[in-house]
Amino acid sequence: MSRGPGFRWRKRGLLFDPGSVSGRPWLREFAQAPATLVFDSFVRVYFSCRPPADANGQYVSRSAFVDLDRKDLFRVLRVAERPILELGGLGTFDEFGTYPVSVARDGGEIAAYYGGWTRCESVPFNVAIGCARSRDGGETFEKLGPGPVLPYSPGEPFVLSGPKLRRFGGEWQLFYIAGCKWKTVAGRAEPVYKIRMARSDDGVHWSRLDRDLIESRIEPDEAQASPDVIRLEGRYHMFFCYRWSADYRNRERGYRIGYAASDDLVTWTRDDARAGIDVSAEGWDSQMVSYPHVFELDGRVLMLYLGNEVGRHGFGLAELEAA
Amino acid sequence: MRWTRLGKIFDPADHRLPNGCSEFAQSPQALVFPDFVRIYFSTRARDQGGQWRSHVAFVDMERDLSRILRVSERAVIELGGLGAFDEHGIFPINVLRHEGRVRAYTCGWNRRVSVPVDTAIGLAWSDDGGLTFRKHGAGPVLGPSLHEPFLVGDPFVIVHEGRFHMWYIFGTSWKRPAPDAPPERTYKIGHASSPDGIAWRKEEGRRVVEDRLNADESQALPTVLRIGMRWHMLFCFRESFDFRRNRDRGYRIGYAWSDDARRWTRDDDAAGIDVAPSGWDSEMLCYPHLFECDGNVYLLYNGNEFGRHGFGAAVLA
Repeated sequence: MSRGPGFRWRKRGLLFDPGSVSGRPWLREFAQAPATLVFDSFVRVYFSCRPPADANGQYVSRSAFVDLDRKDLFRVLRVAERPILELGGLGTFDEFGTYPVSVARDGGEIAAYYGGWTRCESVPFNVAIGCARSRDGGETFEKLGPGPVLPYSPGEPFVLSGPKLRRFGGEWQLFYIAGCKWKTVAGRAEPVYKIRMARSDDGVHWSRLDRDLIESRIEPDEAQASPDVIRLEGRYHMFFCYRWSADYRNRERGYRIGYAASDDLVTWTRDDARAGIDVSAEGWDSQMVSYPHVFELDGRVLMLYLGNEVGRHGFGLAELEAA
Repeated sequence: MRWTRLGKIFDPADHRLPNGCSEFAQSPQALVFPDFVRIYFSTRARDQGGQWRSHVAFVDMERDLSRILRVSERAVIELGGLGAFDEHGIFPINVLRHEGRVRAYTCGWNRRVSVPVDTAIGLAWSDDGGLTFRKHGAGPVLGPSLHEPFLVGDPFVIVHEGRFHMWYIFGTSWKRPAPDAPPERTYKIGHASSPDGIAWRKEEGRRVVEDRLNADESQALPTVLRIGMRWHMLFCFRESFDFRRNRDRGYRIGYAWSDDARRWTRDDDAAGIDVAPSGWDSEMLCYPHLFECDGNVYLLYNGNEFGRHGFGAAVLA
């Protein structure tokens, strides 16, 4: 698996469609950035969703979960009755969205890291990373405080988002993205962001690596997101997504899934050709594939990912056939 | 403390300042040179959208503040780029010399949508003796954190026994005085320390100075000076609502003392300075800055309209 020609994924189709859910006005569209927590009889998939846009066409992101039958992931057992996180108060970093969310068990509790969204004047938004904990098995989360746990810093000046919480070797790791510039494209400010990493002994105080983990491939301003790390057969594997920085809302320049490998979590060798998953000829994932999350379940290696319009119509499932 | 007022010593309208600034000389802060005292301040220019942006300038004065020698001819520090924490202004700036090098801690402003602004604290270095500064990264060294969620600003830094100490402010709430009124901020004074002045450890919401007016009292711009064995802090404070034009609710200068630079006892009566019966500092007193020069202790401060018409000084009697 680690040194072979590459991964081969068999696509199993759209797994969860937010349009199938009713009675939740805050969950109208989108099921973005899936992240799993495996329970005895079900797999809980956290995702982020949106109520309809406001009068100005602006969205607020909320986060929720869906429980899928562990024996048949296509069977939805339950959808969260309410968002798992409250929005922040007036002027706080997460007043306008909590997206995306990554979770991990920590003793009897569940830790969550999430992107908190605020709105700015000269650029549309800023994002910093918040932390929350659940004491009810992951149904609701209480924030550690009203501010972020990983804020803007000299080398990571804005747009800190997409946290993925991991624990390898007794230490916590947080993989995330950080903005390095805002580009003005056709009168619109577009952020360029790269994959970063921080480490912690206690899960609260973080030490940043303070450099890009993954070299840019398609252009220097390539935007990278969703750094999802899994350890398989003694090696670390990162699946992530990347796109062009401008004019990317189309099939040619939109998100694709990339891949990198590492032996030490810090030094990564990018090799997108080994990712083994691309857009389909037609259907829900024919324009883009993005926001991968890879996890093991009952001897299988599975990937959840987003398709067209960055998950407006939900997320799909792929299963590793060979590597 | 007993002060002798020296009056208004700088009026921005009398000078040609960089960036086309002509009004405001806010938060004066001193750096003492062998032949003069450089006083940094924030002045303002309208941007393309007609909104104010604060820019840093300085004036060099005789060491006894009796005469103006020159003003800065070019921008002291550039504002941040698109989306940066200091894109829309730098106010105030705190400058110090450490191991022969001049460094500045800045309070950067960026505009928000649901509230007018947020702020964070940046670091910058000067390689030309304080004429110009370049930034230590595009982002802040001290920004929001778990229990200090916004409006981290107004840094004042000293080095004591090999350790950096910063007194600064952090926001505690945004509230609307009425349902249709714009939100107003409340902030308090905090403390952080650092081995190098770059990586800081906050005390996460610990308030250094107790409230005197009420829970909505806003406290700003701490300045600290050790005289003998005792630490003295001046700061300014005000009501959080209706403070701009109402003389009774606007900024005044408060005072606290400490023997360990950690536990502070507030005693505003000992500040020794209040609004004047008439003149440029008769409505409010704000943005105090303490420094020593030639055996004297000076206080720089702003008066009415938050320093729109300049700043003044007083000397400790």
